Amino acid sequence: MLGLKFLAIMRRDLKKLTRNPITLMATVLMPIVYLVIIGNSFQGQLKHLPVIIVQQDQGIYARRIVEQLLALQAGPKTVDVTFESNIGEAIDDARDGHYKGVVVIPAGFSHAVAEGRIAQIGLFTDNVDAISSGTLEAALAQAAATVHVSFVTAREPKLNEISLRPSWLFPYVDYDRSLIPGVIVMAIFMGSLMSGVFNWVMDKFLGVTECYLVTPLSRWDIAGGVLASGVTVTSVAAVFVLFLGLLITRGRVEGGLVALLMLIGIIIISSTGLLAMTFALLGRAGHPRLVGTFSGFLNVILFFPSGAIYPVESFPPWLRAFAHYNPETHSVSAIKSILFKGADFAAVRGDIAFLLIFMAIMLVLASVSFKRTL
Amino acid sequence: MEPDSLAIRTVNLTKRFGSFTAVDQVNFEVRRGEVFGLLGPNGAGKTTVVRMLTTLLTPTEGQGFVAGFDVARHPRQVRECIGVIPQALTSDLDLTGWENIDIYGEFFGLSRRERRERGHRLLKLVGLSERSNDLVATYSGGMRRRLEIARGLIHSPEVLFLDEPTIGLDPQSRRAVWDLLETLRKESEITISLTTHYMDEAESLCDRIAIVDGGKIIALDTPIGLKSMVPGADRIDLEVEKNPDAIADMLRPMPYLRSVNRDGGNRLQLSSNDGAHAIPMILEAVDAAGDRVTSITVQKLSLEDVFIHFTGRTLRDEPAKKVSLLVGAGMPQQR
Repeated sequence: MLGLKFLAIMRRDLKKLTRNPITLMATVLMPIVYLVIIGNSFQGQLKHLPVIIVQQDQGIYARRIVEQLLALQAGPKTVDVTFESNIGEAIDDARDGHYKGVVVIPAGFSHAVAEGRIAQIGLFTDNVDAISSGTLEAALAQAAATVHVSFVTAREPKLNEISLRPSWLFPYVDYDRSLIPGVIVMAIFMGSLMSGVFNWVMDKFLGVTECYLVTPLSRWDIAGGVLASGVTVTSVAAVFVLFLGLLITRGRVEGGLVALLMLIGIIIISSTGLLAMTFALLGRAGHPRLVGTFSGFLNVILFFPSGAIYPVESFPPWLRAFAHYNPETHSVSAIKSILFKGADFAAVRGDIAFLLIFMAIMLVLASVSFKRTL
Repeated sequence: MEPDSLAIRTVNLTKRFGSFTAVDQVNFEVRRGEVFGLLGPNGAGKTTVVRMLTTLLTPTEGQGFVAGFDVARHPRQVRECIGVIPQALTSDLDLTGWENIDIYGEFFGLSRRERRERGHRLLKLVGLSERSNDLVATYSGGMRRRLEIARGLIHSPEVLFLDEPTIGLDPQSRRAVWDLLETLRKESEITISLTTHYMDEAESLCDRIAIVDGGKIIALDTPIGLKSMVPGADRIDLEVEKNPDAIADMLRPMPYLRSVNRDGGNRLQLSSNDGAHAIPMILEAVDAAGDRVTSITVQKLSLEDVFIHFTGRTLRDEPAKKVSLLVGAGMPQQR
């Protein structure tokens, strides 16, 4: 039995956790709820931006611009188009917040285009909402460019060779599905708080730990048992979240069984690293309140810069530097590569190496910070 | 007394928290098989003594030996020999009674068979066999305490430390715990260290009692021995028919009596070192003075009287615990 006493602590913790199904459900369901809420609130591309078109010109190029906007409405649903004849009323509606922009195609627009003169389209946007405003400008520029290219092509045929034909390197991943790696990592983080350090601090708060400290259990037995039970619960919850996420978004693991085993491995390494980190940071807390306070903070500072929602490359330099050392960034990156790209070990070995080093450092810190006395 | 016959020995055992000395040069010995009581007001230092002897705190100075092992040098060996029932109820609410005992036995490296045999016997001893598969969350405070005593005995410890084992329990549960300790005492060679501030508990269970105050042992003896340390250990209440003042003046110089005081009406309160011999003399003297005794009672000093004699009547405020300015009561400094 010597050296295996940590299994007793692990058995105890697992029994306690399984008798608190609400905790387990929260670990699994809360990240899923995040997936649904974040997925539907941020979205990848903006949709259904209400736009008024004031079409004062009925010529061919004006109609083409309108057709382009209607195509955006029918296809990617970027805009919802409404027509209005009175420019003043249209702008008032936009000012009142009913519309995100007003597109004015002035009289003589088609004529100007046909004659090669400078032809202008007016765009009044609700620039307080910078993201919507930018999206509308881009949509209209795209529509105008189509007219312009078509026009230019007739005079300068060489330009006709320039065309953009996007093609995907990997199978299509919609925005909801792209959030799955982040949600798995969030489940790992929440599990690591709810099962590991929270249990320990709560036991300490209730005085329960006192009866362990007077037994021959070593600090390794106690810390190892708490970590082992935490890793087990957290990993199972994260794998469950993976399958539930794929089920909700109708996705699949691209690399088959090997990829699935690699994913489970990454989940276990990430769980151990995060559990050890929370233990190192909060293991000496005397009140569960502290764990609650810091867990919310840690979740935000680790999850949002992890690349789970926005690409790390778009962050300002200081945040990019932080993200580089954020374990969740590497977990998200590795899971994303394996899950969606069917990447092999070589492709994710950098992330895995980082996670292993992080895990080792945190295990050392957790064992150093763990106190075996009152 | 040979050290081998000692279950507990302390040599100038001291614990300081910063500038505050919680335990100051404490010396005592407990023989194997003895029930030893540590009695003291709140904040006297008795729990700190126990925490040092159970390896939860490291002594600042001096030494403590339990089952022959130095608590500071060989804490692991000490832990293998002791059972501890802390003041707080520490059984896991989410586990059943049996699981609490079974898992605790695993901490001591007991085999599954040993745990099963001893666990069921102990659960029967504490009267919880019927409820052993129920979650502890469904137990009363008394049941939890009995379970914790069983849990503390799963590895057959040489020394059992109980810190305020009946605090917060109803009279029935207290009696049940007392009966359990009496049974243990009769049926095994176990040494029991009992920390309490219930006088009746200490008097009924302990072979010897150390009264602790201000971090020091101020008296140590058997309950009877402690009482005899107090001068005038017998209290006599006397009521006469006619003239209590004259009787009081007459009794004061008599042998066996230490003090004679008026106590309202025709009553007198006397203290004596030997009430049994004093009473016939008092009756004869009152009769000779032409008065008549209407009532007379003799009462031995209670342990509580002894306790008050040694520790005084002053209320004890424990020294203020340090609380972190940063995180409030979330992380108090240990004391």
